[in-house]
Amino acid sequence: MDYALKKDKVIELRDVNKTYPGIVPLHVLKDITLDIRKGELVSIMGASGSGKSTLLNILGILDNYDSGTYHLDGVLIKDLSENRAAELRNRMIGFVFQSFNLINYKNALENVALPLFYQGIGRKKRNALAMEQLERMGLADRAHHLPSELSGGQKQRVAIARALVTKPSLILADEPTGALDSKTSKEVMQVFRDLNNDTGMTIVIVTHDPTVGAATDRVIRIVDGRIENNV
Amino acid sequence: MFDLFREISLTIKNNKLRTVLTGIAVAWGIFMLIVLLGAARGVVNNFEAESSNSSVNSIRLWSGTTSMPYKGYRDGRWIRLKDNDMEAIANEVDKVSDVAISTSVYGFNIVGPKDYISSGLEAVYPDECRTQRITDIKGRFINQKDIADHRRTIVIHRDNAALLFGDSDKALGQELQAMNLSWKVVGVYDHRWRKGTFIPYTTYKAITGGDGYVDQMTVRVENISTDVEAEQTESQVRSVLARRHEFDPEDSNAVWVWNQFANYLKQGQAMIYLNIAVWVIGILTLLTGVVGVSNIMFVSVRERVHEIGIRRAIGAKPKDIIIQILSESVAITTIFGYIGLVVGMGMLQLLSPILEDQAGFVNPTVDISLALQVTAALIIAGAIAGLFPAVKATKVKPVEALRDE
Repeated sequence: MDYALKKDKVIELRDVNKTYPGIVPLHVLKDITLDIRKGELVSIMGASGSGKSTLLNILGILDNYDSGTYHLDGVLIKDLSENRAAELRNRMIGFVFQSFNLINYKNALENVALPLFYQGIGRKKRNALAMEQLERMGLADRAHHLPSELSGGQKQRVAIARALVTKPSLILADEPTGALDSKTSKEVMQVFRDLNNDTGMTIVIVTHDPTVGAATDRVIRIVDGRIENNV
Repeated sequence: MFDLFREISLTIKNNKLRTVLTGIAVAWGIFMLIVLLGAARGVVNNFEAESSNSSVNSIRLWSGTTSMPYKGYRDGRWIRLKDNDMEAIANEVDKVSDVAISTSVYGFNIVGPKDYISSGLEAVYPDECRTQRITDIKGRFINQKDIADHRRTIVIHRDNAALLFGDSDKALGQELQAMNLSWKVVGVYDHRWRKGTFIPYTTYKAITGGDGYVDQMTVRVENISTDVEAEQTESQVRSVLARRHEFDPEDSNAVWVWNQFANYLKQGQAMIYLNIAVWVIGILTLLTGVVGVSNIMFVSVRERVHEIGIRRAIGAKPKDIIIQILSESVAITTIFGYIGLVVGMGMLQLLSPILEDQAGFVNPTVDISLALQVTAALIIAGAIAGLFPAVKATKVKPVEALRDE
């Protein structure tokens, strides 16, 4: 594989395996080989226990894998120290979670600015960049509200703004509409769609909701730890 | 740094009850430490003040009664100290720097222009001033010149001066009548409970002829640093007197001895133990606070596993988490510890006059350098209290932390 092609891929997994140890070891991911290119809006679908969350954790450098290789934007992700993993998560990945995962005693602006705090960026610049993302999400007027003062859709948009604030290579969303009603789910999916169209941001969404899957460019189905189709 | 302070203040504000409970534990620990240290300081200061007043390097002797037969003499014999014992002791006992004697003289009035008293006189040497712990004096005490020249000088207590002259300030330089003679007041002193009237021993002896018997003798020693040496000196003094008065040197009742230096050393040792005990108790009290903080930080970390998971997912390194938890812990211990410190010192200041009056404490306070040491100990204690929970927090994998709800 030539270098240019390799550079074009944001995610490149080759024969990745993951087993959870125990009295009966659980082989969760089996020889996963997967490429996701820059600018793709992809969904990973599968039933509960199929291994999709484990795959997302590995893609998000939140968990390790046992064998195979994983390149993220050309960087080999294997046996990283906690510090290096934290640095790569901060600079290369933006997370969006089902339960939003906002810090409840920080307002929207502070939540969005938090990843920049860990980059050592000063408060003024941090807040300016965070405000930029909140404006993009249409939440400038909610910047100083606590999460408890925001609706579900607004919280998820704050979480997306936080994911975007470091200008990562990849957005990883874990059931981003799981806690939302259908109308709000559509709005959130539209946010992802617009982001993808406008900025060419690579977005990977893990979901079990077919309507979410249908709203993406490509659906990767995972069944019993193996990729069933990689269309 | 500002960001870190803001992070800490936000977390503390978000967990007011937990913070206040932890803070109370720390403040109480420091408060107790300061009060204990202050009280111990008061006891030690009192001991040192008493010691410096009484000049501890001395052995005091009084007449006694033999309790053993000796060289044909039966027991129960009265041994009376004599003024010429003074010279023998000065010449024969090692390390003696001075020997002084005193005796009480009764049976006459001391008459002033306004009134008279009949409390008697004490014929003394200059050293009696130290023995009697007289420090607050206007004019002077009996001096060597008085002794050498047999001067008729007299030193009286302020209350007696007020009685005899109508005003204690008018007494100095005035004349008093005693033993049918005039005496010049050369000193007016103040003391809480001693009220004696002093004249030079040699003058008394010259006037009365005297039999040479004295009530007590003070042997001052020098270059002694251990209680063994002090006891050796005491034994030598006893031997000299035993030879002169013919009693068994082993008979401890023949002459009563108060070896102040040996007592001082023993009390000094006790003071060192007291100081150590106070520090140990104080530090254990403080440790209780620190364990409390550590426990609460553990609970805090447990409560915040999910938040820590979020922070780590978005890029916090283990050191960022450690710094944050440590800083919170240090901030809590420092702020509340400081409150305990200030309240403790305030309490000591407030109680100081009462303790000094009622309980015999002297200046039961804690000085600023000790307060600074305690503050430094606080910060270290805070760091230790936070360290274990902080390290524990970083051991949780981000993915597990995020699952924790």
